[in-house]
Amino acid sequence: MFSRDLWSEIFHSIRSNKLRTFLTGFSVAWGIFILVLLLASVDGMQNGFMKQFGDDATNSIIVFPSTTTKPYGGFEKGRRIQLDNEDVDFIKRSFPGYYEYISPRISKSVDARHLSERGNYTINAVNPENIFIEKVTIDKGRFINGSDMRNTSKVVVMGTVVAQELFKQEDPIGKNVVLNGLSYKVVGVFSDDGNERSERNMYTPITTLQRLYSNTTDVDRISLTYNPTFNYAEAINFSDIIEKSLKRRLIIDPDDQGALYINNYAEGFADVANFTGMLSMISIAIGVLILIAGIVGIGNILVFIIKERTKEIGVRKALGAKPFDVIKLVLMESVIITSISGLGGMVFAMGLVSLISPIVDAPAFSNPSVDNATVITSTIVLIVAGLLAGLIPAVKAAKVKPIVALRAD
Amino acid sequence: MIEIKGLHKSYHMGSNSLHVLKGINFNVKEGELVAIMGSSGSGKSTLLNILGMLDSLDEGEYILDGVPIKNLNETKAANYRNKFLGFIFQSFNLINYKSAWENVALPLYYQGVNRKERKERAVKHLASVGLEPWIDHLPSELSGGQKQRVAIARALAAEPKVMLADEPTGALDSKTSYEVMDLIQKINDQGKTILVVTHEDDIAQMCKRVVHLKDGLIVEDTLVNQVRASEHV
Repeated sequence: MFSRDLWSEIFHSIRSNKLRTFLTGFSVAWGIFILVLLLASVDGMQNGFMKQFGDDATNSIIVFPSTTTKPYGGFEKGRRIQLDNEDVDFIKRSFPGYYEYISPRISKSVDARHLSERGNYTINAVNPENIFIEKVTIDKGRFINGSDMRNTSKVVVMGTVVAQELFKQEDPIGKNVVLNGLSYKVVGVFSDDGNERSERNMYTPITTLQRLYSNTTDVDRISLTYNPTFNYAEAINFSDIIEKSLKRRLIIDPDDQGALYINNYAEGFADVANFTGMLSMISIAIGVLILIAGIVGIGNILVFIIKERTKEIGVRKALGAKPFDVIKLVLMESVIITSISGLGGMVFAMGLVSLISPIVDAPAFSNPSVDNATVITSTIVLIVAGLLAGLIPAVKAAKVKPIVALRAD
Repeated sequence: MIEIKGLHKSYHMGSNSLHVLKGINFNVKEGELVAIMGSSGSGKSTLLNILGMLDSLDEGEYILDGVPIKNLNETKAANYRNKFLGFIFQSFNLINYKSAWENVALPLYYQGVNRKERKERAVKHLASVGLEPWIDHLPSELSGGQKQRVAIARALAAEPKVMLADEPTGALDSKTSYEVMDLIQKINDQGKTILVVTHEDDIAQMCKRVVHLKDGLIVEDTLVNQVRASEHV
């Protein structure tokens, strides 16, 4: 099938018809070019959206209380809801296996001082599991640990921005920092890529802050991550159960929308996934439609070429070309033109994408790129397209009657 | 070599049918050089097309070199054409983007002969028609007579049993025509069976036998004293 002679036949006819080969190929190259650009754009949008989530664990659920908006169980509306350690333990107790990590949190604004440097920062009091929920990276030292929790140690883990501002070139690990007049030891420095704001924060054990400031077990909010094997429905179901049982526990009207906020990342993710999935579908559909235009174009030009080469085909048949020889010739020519020009279009589009990609980093559009699956699929689509485009003209060519073709003119 | 009995052929165009061949009986022995003559519409081209398996017959029998030619599908017809027949056309019908030797080698390509041998054999046949210096030229770089000689070399390439020439000199001036006929006579001298369709009397006289067709029937079939074309060159 792929003998050297067939190749030389095909390249002969391509070489001797450069302009029409180019015109034929261009429509396909253009179709693939647009398809790849569209897919890369969707990819860029997807990256952009994902970036909006920061880099917190994508399976996070955050519970934070507010005030009731409905009277319930003998309480008037407008009651402030307060969570405490008991609620955290309640969730741990009630849903083993449903959650992965869980951490209470108190946030406090503090005045921080080290030698002559001072500034105002937020300190988040959490437990050691929080590192997995907010996904911070420890650059130096360590995160807070169980022993800090038990001993209510006055230790802080500070963001790189805080460390930079208070300690300048100095290594902050093991040094003391004064927060609201109380001295804490710095045990670690963290960074959080994708969320520079959080690098202006500090972490301290929640037990420490509870003891120092209120001597209660109050917490401002509870962060947890759901079991990562959960699918979307299970994740949503889990946060619904938490909401229901916490409302029962805290005596809140089940229909009260304002008293307790449960923020499940799964919802946002599902929205974005739906949206970008839809965009991919649309762009694939558009790409395929453009490609169809290309295929029809090739088919059209090939039909014309067959007409132009009727005499030649007639001569070949008179000299002993079998119908299959003729079909092979036309089909192979079509596939080769489509594949080569399509690959050309693809390479050009990918080049353009990789050139633009590093420059483009807008909030909703970031690092557009083309994955291997796209490349492989496009290649297969191209070959099939070439076959389809060549099919009708090839059959038409095979049906050329030598006597008609050879009639002296 | 060729046996034809009771050959009928009609063409249907819409509701009209045109009875072109009305019962042809015709035999050609090996080594003959036959001219088929007749005015246009006499059916000579139709007869040649049927002989060349380019067209099917309606009724009758056609035996070529002992092989009955009937119920051919396209692939089989292509094989037989390739094996048995060499064609020479009025308008040469060379493939214009192929060089002289590639044109000559084309029937061999469809026989599956490898490229090296194809070239060797093509060059040999081009040399036998006196075109050795032009093997790499494109048809557009050749004169009419040279083109027809390339076409004759192509018809010879597959070593066919019978050569069919449809008005081989129709597009040539008389001097070149005689040169081409001289070549055809020389090929015939080596024993090849050749049928030439022509409407020119002087060309017909250069064959050994003249068959006259009129309104789809053979009206005259005579042996002639061959005029050697070389005398006119």
